[in-house]
Amino acid sequence: MNQKELKELIEFLIEKDIAEFELERGDVKLRVKRAGNSPEVHFVQSAVPQVMAAPIVMPQAATGAATPAGGHTPEKTESPAASDEDLFLVKSPIVGTYYEAPSPGSPPFVKVGDTVETGQILCIIEAMKLMNEIESDVSGVVAKILVKNGQPVEYGQPLFAIAARK
Amino acid sequence: MTDDLLTPENLKPLLGGAMFREIHHFTAIDSTNSAAMQAAAAGAEEGSVFIAEQQHSGRGRGGHSWHSAPGTGIYVSVVLRPKLSPGDVLWLSLIAGLSAHEAIESVVSVAPDLRWPNDIMFGQQKLGGILTELNADVHRVNYAVVGIGINVNQAEFPADIRELATSLRIETDREWPRVEITAALLKSVDREYRALNVAGHPAAAISSITERFEKASSYARGAQVRVDEDGGYSGRTVGLDARGFLRVESAAGLKTVLSGGVRKLVEK
Repeated sequence: MNQKELKELIEFLIEKDIAEFELERGDVKLRVKRAGNSPEVHFVQSAVPQVMAAPIVMPQAATGAATPAGGHTPEKTESPAASDEDLFLVKSPIVGTYYEAPSPGSPPFVKVGDTVETGQILCIIEAMKLMNEIESDVSGVVAKILVKNGQPVEYGQPLFAIAARK
Repeated sequence: MTDDLLTPENLKPLLGGAMFREIHHFTAIDSTNSAAMQAAAAGAEEGSVFIAEQQHSGRGRGGHSWHSAPGTGIYVSVVLRPKLSPGDVLWLSLIAGLSAHEAIESVVSVAPDLRWPNDIMFGQQKLGGILTELNADVHRVNYAVVGIGINVNQAEFPADIRELATSLRIETDREWPRVEITAALLKSVDREYRALNVAGHPAAAISSITERFEKASSYARGAQVRVDEDGGYSGRTVGLDARGFLRVESAAGLKTVLSGGVRKLVEK
């Protein structure tokens, strides 16, 4: 999760008047607690990323407490030493249930290691019988699938990490 | 009723000022939703309508197929390009059901029930169903397709779905003009959609949708239901939440139904 995504998440929590929010996924733990209008954010990434095809590039300020709305901005979200491949997160635009296949029993749209093109369908998020086909924003290789078939997901929740092709 | 084909020529004079300028009529098609989604991806304008006399592979939620005999039902899909934020787009699902409810009541004078989020019911049998498909990213909605299927003049259904399905003809013992019902349906969709699709300020529309849904649906409050998600649970419905999700009071506490799969428990 980069600084911009974090800012969007916090704006969303303020807009929906959500007082407390916790997210734990893989090696990233995020906790937001609001007192009045000033959110208090703890964003923790463990030292060793888990199985990754390429390192997720994190803001440098992310290992402590960050103040994303104002305060200091990390100098750069990509280190110059990063490989040619950066992991790109595809996120859910709606609250709903994650489906890996077009119908039960069909093969999944994509698997880890698959090459995908921009616009290719990665999964379906469904809520209230509204099926949202999630397309890839980038061309690259699916490095990680961050959710399980049938799992409920929140607005803005990362679904896939894609190693973007440059 | 051979003149009761759902052609643009038959429908357009009945649509008044509604937004539907492009109406595509098919004798048979795989799925009107698929055709509308493909057209939307290729740039079809808002309000483009896809109607078929018969669908070979009409689709429902989770890949369920939808039985459609020729010339007896209504299978219609509409392309929308809402200005709504992705967070508000789920209301499309509820207005589609309300539109069908209103249209049927206005023509047939019998109001069907709504099973959350948008199944059109008589008793425990399904009269119609809705499938909404969306192309959106986290920031904006590119386009949506609302597909509505209504069983109108079927005299009977195949044995395997006879217990589950019904038609207006079976319920009222007479045939109904599909053209009139389709026009009423499109006009309802147009009215509901215009009220909701006010960029940034759908609040008034949303409270009206919730209120009218709870009035139209015997499932919304006080119904004993079984919910087929989150491992399956039973409880009593306690209305819709601020996002339009159904709430159920279960033995394990208050639950929010995300998808559907709500069945009424038969009272003994």
